[in-house]
Amino acid sequence: MKRYGEHRIPGRLFVVEGIDGSGKSTQLLLLHQWLRAEGYGVVFSEWTSSLVVKDTTKRGKKKKLLTPSTFCLIHATDFADRMERNIIPLLKAGAVVLCDRYIYTAFARDVARGMDPKWTRELYSFAVKPTLAFYFRVPLEIAMKRLNDSRNGFKYYEAGMDLELSEDPDESFRLFQARILEEYEKIVPEFGLTVIDATLPIEAQQAQMRQLVGAKLAQAKQLRVAP
Amino acid sequence: MKETYGVALPGMNLGDLVGKLIVVEGTDGVGRSTQISLLKEWLEQQGRAVLDTGLSRSGLAGKGIKRAKQGHTLGRITLSLFYASDFADRLENEIVPALRAGFVVLTDRYIYSLMARAMVRGLAPEWVRNVHAFALKPDATFYLRIGVDDLIPRVVFSRGFDYWESGMDLYASEDMYDSFRRYQSALLEQFDKLAEEYKFEVIDASPDPRTVFEQLRAGILGVLLGEPQPAKGDGAPAGVAAPAPVDLLPVDSSPSPVLVRPEQPEKELKL
Repeated sequence: MKRYGEHRIPGRLFVVEGIDGSGKSTQLLLLHQWLRAEGYGVVFSEWTSSLVVKDTTKRGKKKKLLTPSTFCLIHATDFADRMERNIIPLLKAGAVVLCDRYIYTAFARDVARGMDPKWTRELYSFAVKPTLAFYFRVPLEIAMKRLNDSRNGFKYYEAGMDLELSEDPDESFRLFQARILEEYEKIVPEFGLTVIDATLPIEAQQAQMRQLVGAKLAQAKQLRVAP
Repeated sequence: MKETYGVALPGMNLGDLVGKLIVVEGTDGVGRSTQISLLKEWLEQQGRAVLDTGLSRSGLAGKGIKRAKQGHTLGRITLSLFYASDFADRLENEIVPALRAGFVVLTDRYIYSLMARAMVRGLAPEWVRNVHAFALKPDATFYLRIGVDDLIPRVVFSRGFDYWESGMDLYASEDMYDSFRRYQSALLEQFDKLAEEYKFEVIDASPDPRTVFEQLRAGILGVLLGEPQPAKGDGAPAGVAAPAPVDLLPVDSSPSPVLVRPEQPEKELKL
């Protein structure tokens, strides 16, 4: 069983992290397009998308069955399935894998929900260490404004309503995300995340990303597939 | 006061868990569920409220695990974590509330089975231990031990070989019989190590169910009375050596079948 940092694989793993409304998914989508156009074999993996576990997670959320511990463990199960079935074999085959959220999301959310930080880190120690992990740093107010403009209302767990911080979903979301931001700030130095200023124009952020990712691909020409 | 194996779950108060947590461990086909139904009946006759629970019975993950196992596509880490999710759900929603209400919780397998399975599949022991570190330490763990030669006829003549119980995910090149033998032998080896580490009460599961039940019953009586467990490995059934309080019916040490139908009415336990 290989631990974080012990995997030796020819592929490249790039992940994006940040709170909702940080713009990380947009940035990953743009990176994806660029890599495909450059002719790389790119695979995209989303948080909570395992076919085996998805139904359980969905049920747990819909019926509000999840506590901080089962929320944490069921997400870890989902992640493990994607890791074992997809991400590791793809990386071994030399693919470029892109993940929208990774283990750092779990560290931030689960610890914000009261799980033990050390225990949670050890739980995910089977994960492959990313080639680069981007953290999109954004002030809470800006993220909130972006979210308010684009959707109406927060979901129960998304807003951390299970923590009973506030009965008002907007207020609960704000309090919960503030806790998550605090956790992210601990994670950034601990795991060497690459910080991107998410208040910059979209194209400026993307240019930074492409430059950093490009440098990691330069030594890996064999990853290139025929366009 | 109950404690965990190192990590407390958020919001879990361990202070008022007055019930008893009793684990029956043992490999597939050893007769755990038979014993648990006998024990439940006996305890209820004694006036004790009983909750019985077991792996993959959680409201959250039970069905998902069963469905996923049918596809035979679960990786070893995924399998381990899926079961841990199921366990956490039962711990928080069944076991702890029942203990708080003063129930005797009889659990058919516990984290030890999950740990043995994970370690047989090559997962790092320290990772496995950490995953399960939020579990409550039981008041007692009875390990129904059987050799693989005694186990095989039971499995063959009751339900046949099962894909996962035969470890076919590990030894796929072999037929189910050979695979079962190898897998169960490896599991038993792990269980023996865990038995030592976690101080299980080891009970020889090869005799007839009634004899096994008598030993279990004696052991559980000891636990319910809060008596110290006798020294391990002396072969004596747990609890027998300890002097019984006057208002307790002595444990019958003769092999007569008093278990299911007592020849004299048993006094109610005042605990």
